[in-house]
Amino acid sequence: MKHRSPLITLAAVVLAFAIMFTVNMLSSPPSSRSTGTAGPSAAATTAAAPEQTAPATPSASASETAEDSEFPEKVVYAGRTDDGPAAIAVAVLGNQAAAYVCDGRTVESWFRGTVEAGRLSLKSKSGETLQAELDGDHLKGTVQIKNETQKFEINEASKPAGLYRARSSKTTIGWIVLEDGSQVGVQTTGADSSAAPQLDPENPQVMVDGESLDAAAVNGDEDL
Amino acid sequence: MTSIPAPASDAPAAEPSGTKIGPVVIAFAIGTAVSIGLGVYGRLHTPTGYAVNIAGFSSGAAAKAALASVAMGLAIVQIVTALGVYGRIPLRGGWVSPVHRWSGRLAVLISVPVAVHCLYALGFQAFDGRVIAHSLFGCFLYGAFTFKMLILTRDDTPGWALPLAGGLVFSGLTALWSTAVLYFLV
Repeated sequence: MKHRSPLITLAAVVLAFAIMFTVNMLSSPPSSRSTGTAGPSAAATTAAAPEQTAPATPSASASETAEDSEFPEKVVYAGRTDDGPAAIAVAVLGNQAAAYVCDGRTVESWFRGTVEAGRLSLKSKSGETLQAELDGDHLKGTVQIKNETQKFEINEASKPAGLYRARSSKTTIGWIVLEDGSQVGVQTTGADSSAAPQLDPENPQVMVDGESLDAAAVNGDEDL
Repeated sequence: MTSIPAPASDAPAAEPSGTKIGPVVIAFAIGTAVSIGLGVYGRLHTPTGYAVNIAGFSSGAAAKAALASVAMGLAIVQIVTALGVYGRIPLRGGWVSPVHRWSGRLAVLISVPVAVHCLYALGFQAFDGRVIAHSLFGCFLYGAFTFKMLILTRDDTPGWALPLAGGLVFSGLTALWSTAVLYFLV
């Protein structure tokens, strides 16, 4: 070894990586921890969920039969986007549907639209689209998140899993409660988004800026 | 980082007679291991979807794009000063080598928050071609960087080794920037 300074540079970069990782781990918000993604043991359980849906990637015949199927009168689907960290929930009531996609941090979108013969076509206020269709008893489709199209394949969610929303004059909060009880939510005030406070689906009240807000399950026919 | 040796440490220096390929192979192997390690970590850990935001930007993505663009600009400084060091362009003076070294150090340090955000919050993803390419190049970049730093520690490597390593780092960063920032902007 003739020169030490490149090694020092290398060490400094490794150190910078370590510091950034530590800062990130220490500052994960409580709601993000509750999704089980912060701890290694809990991470294993959430990691298993997307894998379960992976082998179910439909064959051509499966999607052909899906064309004929109809949604139940009232149903909610929830899960995670394929290969991505975002959670997604879709609520269907009759021929109306609402959906919510969020990353538990800063990215969220509410979608509204209609249902036709087992197919959903939803739009957000900012023009992003969500397309999905029934495939057996699960819902598969694509959603635009921040200019990226993500695929998803999600299952029916039974209470307390589902989609929840709370609204005050200034703040809107959305939560997706997944089948395993973990939740992903984002709170938006004006243009600022952050992780949502923890929601108790049995007693859906949260405090925001000293104000108590009632959260309600989203059924699919609400004005969002 | 204060004990910087003679300004020739980035230059081909006086090519010593009898260069060795062994250290290049070892450095390449270590760099490869770094790349694979990053990829495996990115694939196996559950992305949190959350990472610390950097104050002063409209969004996490904007912050990353800005930092990555600064790194990209510094990388161009790297290429230009490297050409000067090797005498390919008329860039002379005692400042060329230090500028090359410090712009490089700054570039890689600036890239770290971006890379950590990608790895920690998003992980190695493969949902479309751009994302696969970006994930692969991200792992590649830090392996190539490790390779280059290890090459730099020795004077007895063949003359082609350092330009190769530098070229790999620059190519990696360019590919990363193109598959992310360019995409973010257009």
